[in-house]
Formats: sequence, C-alpha cells, structure tokens
Amino acid sequence: MIGCLRRVLAVAGNTFLEAVRQKVFAVLLLFGLVMVGGANYFTEFSYQEQFKFLKDLGYASIGLTGLLIGLLGAAQLIPGEIEKRTILTALCRPLRRWEFIWGKYLGLLCLLSLMVGIMAVAVWGVLHWKESQLIASEGSDPAVADLIRAEARDPRMLQAVLLVGVKLAVVAAMAVFFSTIATSTTFVIAMTLLVYLIGHLQSVAREQWMESGEATRWVVKSFLVLVSLLIPDFNLYNLIDEIVAGNVVHWKSTLEVAGYSMVYIFILLGAATLTFEGRDI
Amino acid sequence: MNLAVKTQGLRKEFALGWFRGRLLAVEGLDMEVRKGEVFGLLGPNGSGKSTAMKMILGLLRPTGGRAEVCGYRAGTIAARRQIGFLPENPYFPNFLSGVELVRYYGRLSGMGGRKLELRIEELMELVRLGGEAGKRPLRTYSKGMLQRAGLAGAMVGDPEVLMLDEPTAGVDPAGSREIRDLILELKERGKTVIFSSHLLEQVEDVADRVIILHRGKKLREGRLEDLLAKKSEWQIRVQGLEEAGRKELREWLEKRGVQIMAESAPRERLEDYFLRSLPEEIQR
Repeated sequence: MIGCLRRVLAVAGNTFLEAVRQKVFAVLLLFGLVMVGGANYFTEFSYQEQFKFLKDLGYASIGLTGLLIGLLGAAQLIPGEIEKRTILTALCRPLRRWEFIWGKYLGLLCLLSLMVGIMAVAVWGVLHWKESQLIASEGSDPAVADLIRAEARDPRMLQAVLLVGVKLAVVAAMAVFFSTIATSTTFVIAMTLLVYLIGHLQSVAREQWMESGEATRWVVKSFLVLVSLLIPDFNLYNLIDEIVAGNVVHWKSTLEVAGYSMVYIFILLGAATLTFEGRDI
Repeated sequence: MNLAVKTQGLRKEFALGWFRGRLLAVEGLDMEVRKGEVFGLLGPNGSGKSTAMKMILGLLRPTGGRAEVCGYRAGTIAARRQIGFLPENPYFPNFLSGVELVRYYGRLSGMGGRKLELRIEELMELVRLGGEAGKRPLRTYSKGMLQRAGLAGAMVGDPEVLMLDEPTAGVDPAGSREIRDLILELKERGKTVIFSSHLLEQVEDVADRVIILHRGKKLREGRLEDLLAKKSEWQIRVQGLEEAGRKELREWLEKRGVQIMAESAPRERLEDYFLRSLPEEIQR
C-alpha cells in the first residue's frame, strides 16, 4: 500500500515539477493575474457595479487561465510522454497503469490548485484594495462604508472559487481520458474543448427539443439521455453567476455540484484506466 | 535450468490502420537467457529486436506466444520488479537532474527514504556521475553521460535482468568503452544483461551468447565461441621469433602439408589506440 502511494505520488510530483519548470505556465498565470489586476482600473461605475465587475472578471480569469493550463498540461500528460518516449522508462517499472493515470491526474490537479490558489489570492487582494480606495472616496457615510466592506469581504467568494476549482478538475479528468486514447496533443485539446462546449450547450439543446416536441420520439429521447449521462452538464457551475449577482447560494447546492463533479471525475478516470490498460506503448 | 528470460512462440503483429493490413514484427520467437549471462540481440533495423524487448518488458502485448522473466509472466508487476531497462535513445525527462532522474525511477519502483538515497549515491558513483555532475540538468549532459544516468536509473531497483537497447549508439569511443566496462562489471556482480547493438565488435567483446534476428524470425542462436570458431584452422600468437625462426617454421609447416592462410604482425585495435592517445583523465 505504501509502495503504491509512493509510486502515485512520484508520478504526480514529476508531472507537477515538469509543469512548473515550463515557462508557458508561468506566462499563462501572469496573463490571468494581469486580467484580474486590470479590472481594478474600471472606475466609471457605481461601487456595487465595480465590485460585481471585479468579481465577474476575477472568476472568469481564474476559469479561463485554469482551462488553458489544464488543457496544455493534460495534452502533455500521455501523448507528450509517448512523443518524447519518456513513458517507456516509466511504464517498464513495477508501476501499474492505473497508478500512472492517477498520478498524472493528481499532478495536474496540484498544478491547477496552485494556480487557482494564487489567482484567488490576487482577486481577494484586488477586492481589498478597491475597498480601501472606495472607503477613502465614498465612505464618509458609515452605512455606505459598511456596504462597501460587505461587498469586498463577501464570504461567498470561497464558494465561487470552489466551484471554479471543481469545474476545472472535471475538465482535467476529461483531458486525461482523451489523452489515453489520443496519439497527438492536438487531438486531446480539440476533443476536450468540443466536449466542454457540448457540456455547456447540452441543457439548452435539451430544453429546445423538449419544447419542440421532438423529444417524444424514442430515438431523440435515447440520444438526449445518452448525452446527458456521458457529458457533464457544465451549466450547473453557473451558480458562480448567481454569487456574482449577489444572490444567495446555499452551501448545500455548492456541495451537491462538487459531489456531481466527483462522480464524473471517478467515471472519467476509471474509463481512462480501462482504455490505457490495453494500450501498446 | 535457471532462466532469467524465456520466450516461447512469441509473436507480434501491428495493425497499420483501416484497410491497410497488418505488419508482422516478431514471428514465433523462442529464446532462453540464463541467469548471469550477457546476451546479445543482433539484427538489422526492423528485425524485431526492440519489439521483442518491449514484449519482455510488458510495454507491448504479444499477439501470440508467451514471455517470462525469472519465472514470472512478462508484463506482470512481479516480472517488472526483476527487470531494468535502458532505451535506445536517452528518452528521459530532461527537466530533471541526473540524481533526480534516478530518484524518480527509484520511487516508481516503490523505493524511498534513506535506503533510496544511499542507493542513488552508490549508483551515481558507479556510473561516474557522482558529485556536481549528478546535480546538473539532463539537458546539459552529453549522450554518453545520459546513457550512464539511464543505466543508473535502470539499476536503481536492483533488478536481476538488465535490458539495454543499443546502449552505445551515438556514444563516442570513450563513452562506449565505459558502457562496455559497466556491462562487464554487472556480469561480475551476477546480473543478467540482454542488449541489442549494431556494433558487432562490441558485442563480440562482451556477449556470452547471441541471437540473430531477421524480419522478426530467429536465424541463429548460440555461444560466440561456437558460432565464430573456424574449426578447420588454428592460430598461434608468439613473441620474439626472428625472421630465421619464422622461415624455419614455415618450412616445417609445409613439410606437414599445412596451408598457411595468413601471416602478419598483429595490429592493435583502432579503438584501443584511439583511447590510449587521449589524455589520461578522459581514458579513465
């Protein structure tokens, strides 16, 4: 058991180390931080709108940077190792293939967690800077100052960051699955993006079909059921928009989405293990 | 018999893609490698050497037949514990240093802690990459250094069998000699070494037995002495025989009806001469 954990952690550590030693990830992170920081200079709105804009752009920046880092990282996981043939010297060891897959995913997850953590701290810092600026300019009235503080120190930020994080974890698991069947990094990126888009559009398409009455035909019905089972519904993560809009989002809902994500992560990694198990290297 | 590796009817076909048929890479390979011997896999490019090695390592699934490593079915965890591998080209994560590479491979083999660190130290000394050299990133290494680091990585789990795919390809004569010496040292330590090479002189220097493959089939197998000896001829090397003595010897041989095939002063091998000409620190 200890040996197994050691091997998974060794693969994870190596994956993480490889990513952080590459300039492209640092550049992407810098791009995300610039986006977050740049949002602070939009001052022509009311303070409520400024905070909404900062949060909206902040979470979107974390999501976009995470998506790019996750896609690039995952694309290199297995096709990259096969192209460089470094996989030969890893898989000839007493290392089970599922340990390799889970180690790779764990390494990618560590990278994404680090990135989400750094960017969340940056968003938090920008919100606090904005708070001090606005209190200095508009906070002579204690009631307004309290409202500004409440906007800047919104505890729901934790929920939003958690939702962005679990969404990225699902995308990373999807990319890991595609990397086990792919022969090129382009295929992994293209397929993951495609499924990501379908995941965003599937609930809209389902509603459309339901309304048009098409869904009564068994073929369409079966297709819709199959798509909704196979592809995660990324619209569930739109709870972030509710948080940005200032609406109440219960922790129960957030944890339900996190649970839903975990189920998909396990299914995707299980499928990745099965496909990779029989693959010739 | 105490066998390190055994294959029976090993066969591998590759699918070439839709409607493009299949490629037969290895066909019915029977091979036995005894524990403690140095075994050479010879053959031209595309003869199936690397495919056979990959099946023994468990990286490729045989289409037919079976392979065993120290009695365990090839590809199982028990079999992979018994085997270390050095690939044809130095395919290593080049963002790591030499020491980090060996540590990574050690952890993949389930090792850790003080035991692993001591093993790394011992191996880096063995492959002459101790001290600062081991701390440099692999991308700054020469081909010979990379191969030696890879060899340390292959040996970290103390496997019974070492498989080296073209270990001296692209390495300069000094580096090549070092790898050859390492193979001999491994043999002295009781390890089984299976290696493939195009450099037949080097195979001759270190291999106990060889197998010759062509288009996936075994052409020959045996001990080098048996395969290479010209049993109808005899060769004596002498020292201090002057021209008068040589003439007398020729006459004596002719009287006995012996045909003299060749007669010359022996030459040093170019590799030995080249290495002897280099400064002492490189020779070491």
